[in-house]
Amino acid sequence: MARPNHDTSRMDDLLASVTSDLLGDLPQNLVDNTIHVERILLEMVRPDPVQPRRVLPDAIHVRFHQNQITPTQALRELVQIVQLAARHRGRPFTNLLELLPNADDERDDETTVQLTPEEQLLRDLVNLAITIRDDGHVNPLTVVDVSQGVTRLFRIETGERRYWATWLLRDFLPNYTGDGMIPCIIIPANRSSVFRQAKENTARSGLTAVALARQAALLLLTVHGYEIPAYAVENDFYRQALELDLRGKREYTDVVLSAMGGIGRMHFSRYKALLKLSDEALELADRYQIEEYRLRPLLSVSAEYHAEIVRQIIDFNLTAKQIKELCEGDDLDTDATDPLDKLPPAAIKMARAVQASSSTTPQDIARALMQREGDAAIARARLQALQKLLNEAERYLTTDQKL
Amino acid sequence: MVYASTRSFVFTNHKGGVGKSTSATNIALGIVQLLRRANASNCRVLIVDTDSQAHASLVTTGRKDYGADDSLYSVLLADRENAAQTLLNCIVPSQWDADLHILPASPMLEGAERELMGVAGAPYRLADPVGKIANQYAAIIIDTRPSFSLLTEMALLAATDAIVPVEPRYLETVGLTSVIEKINDIREGWRHPTLRVSGLLVTKMDSRIRGHNHLLAEVKAHPVLGKLLLGVIPANEAVSYAHSSHQSLFTYSPTAAASKAYLQVVASLVRYLLKGGD
Repeated sequence: MARPNHDTSRMDDLLASVTSDLLGDLPQNLVDNTIHVERILLEMVRPDPVQPRRVLPDAIHVRFHQNQITPTQALRELVQIVQLAARHRGRPFTNLLELLPNADDERDDETTVQLTPEEQLLRDLVNLAITIRDDGHVNPLTVVDVSQGVTRLFRIETGERRYWATWLLRDFLPNYTGDGMIPCIIIPANRSSVFRQAKENTARSGLTAVALARQAALLLLTVHGYEIPAYAVENDFYRQALELDLRGKREYTDVVLSAMGGIGRMHFSRYKALLKLSDEALELADRYQIEEYRLRPLLSVSAEYHAEIVRQIIDFNLTAKQIKELCEGDDLDTDATDPLDKLPPAAIKMARAVQASSSTTPQDIARALMQREGDAAIARARLQALQKLLNEAERYLTTDQKL
Repeated sequence: MVYASTRSFVFTNHKGGVGKSTSATNIALGIVQLLRRANASNCRVLIVDTDSQAHASLVTTGRKDYGADDSLYSVLLADRENAAQTLLNCIVPSQWDADLHILPASPMLEGAERELMGVAGAPYRLADPVGKIANQYAAIIIDTRPSFSLLTEMALLAATDAIVPVEPRYLETVGLTSVIEKINDIREGWRHPTLRVSGLLVTKMDSRIRGHNHLLAEVKAHPVLGKLLLGVIPANEAVSYAHSSHQSLFTYSPTAAASKAYLQVVASLVRYLLKGGD
């Protein structure tokens, strides 16, 4: 028996015999160029790993996009982080619904409670989940069909918070009556647009300065022809944009600035420059939503101090002026070069005298003292005071060598 | 392509050897090819093999050693919440065409029937997950085993259209009405009003045999069966050769009479799909 090959072109003539009949009266039904809404299984939808606006904390975000944890596990980790933070602050909870403000509670202490960013995030997600449970998905997600082979997959362009809220509703909240599907506006892969995503982002409130910096980088990288990966990226990926600008891409200038919310070139450059901040500083600034103008002064100091200064900004709610003074007034780079400059001159003289103690004798010191004071009792009192001072100084040496 | 809702065709008959798997697999490939040729934006077709003999899985993927973790068995035994995800994980590409996907069967399906017997909601353990991923496909083709078992009930509940392959022999045609009645029982008894018998496919027709011609004439003349007649597939040695080489009939012998007949059936079904099942 001869074994014909698998060349499907062998079918061509056969198919041609029926295609013309078939296409004769139904051509309009075959090709779909419309953007339409479909209900899609939640598991077939994935957030965009390079989306500038991040919903989950960085550590969870990275592990989720590296497929180390499932959506349910990612949310469980977030819940655990929030439970820990809440317990430390004396407001433990076991049920997620306890995070929501109590409508019957008329006390005015809601405004005084300072929530951590993670607490605020989870509270917002729970709130959104309850809205979805009660009212349904009013707005579908916008997703891009990135299916390959048998793997059916849709990447979220906009609506990541609704995605996480739906998972939260499905797996963590009571009375979920859905079927695990989520309505989505499906955009063909070839019509996906980083500019549309950017416009959607900037059109909404709450986009942090760091997210805007990432977004500026993403737009710059796109117009310069860089390939945008489909996996989680480190900040160094965005930092490639620090070497790029819009000067060589004049035809894109308007569309990029428009996608950034209609900002000017100077603001665009300022946002992009934030990518010079250290990784830790970027994460903190993103979580605590610190504005660009408060982060700008940090760029003048060494990267090793960025995270510490950001922590001070958060802890003491520093104003832009205070941050500027902190960064410019204390020259942190030269801080360690000559600490003696900042000490009282008398202390420095004393230290020099101590250093020179081996070059003199007790008799000479006694004679010099008598010559200056003219009285043995006063000279003795001076020496005792000095001894006491030196003993104290020694105590400081042993307890805090950095002083 | 926008489908009002994806049609799921189940090929069923409790008589064995009537060409269920052959028809299901070749018609599935034909739909893919025809939609692609017409530049349809979605020409993916999924074959769900519910027959524990796994013939459809074997000829389309070259394997029949699917087990507890990578076959329909794992979908049926999965938690209700995870069943659709499990189904997605188990789908494999066919060797025939990149857009023809298979949910393979496993010999373990025999055991699944016993394990699920008496479990609440068991008959819907295929319909639920298939319904959740159906809109990803232009059409779904379900192959069934030659008996009316729990798995066949599951397949019928997951389908929108039943196609009954039948040989033109006396006993087969006598049993035909009982097959259709059984499908109607499923529709009424399980409150599945969208299920309908959409076609009767006469297979292995040999026009040299007087009895075949006579029975075909009777079917055509029958007031109900005549209207359901979807196509007549001539008996053809190329079918068994195509099977043994794990190829589709269209690829193995595109000029064979059976290939041409199957393609006419495919054209009818594609037209039916494009009209939204009307």
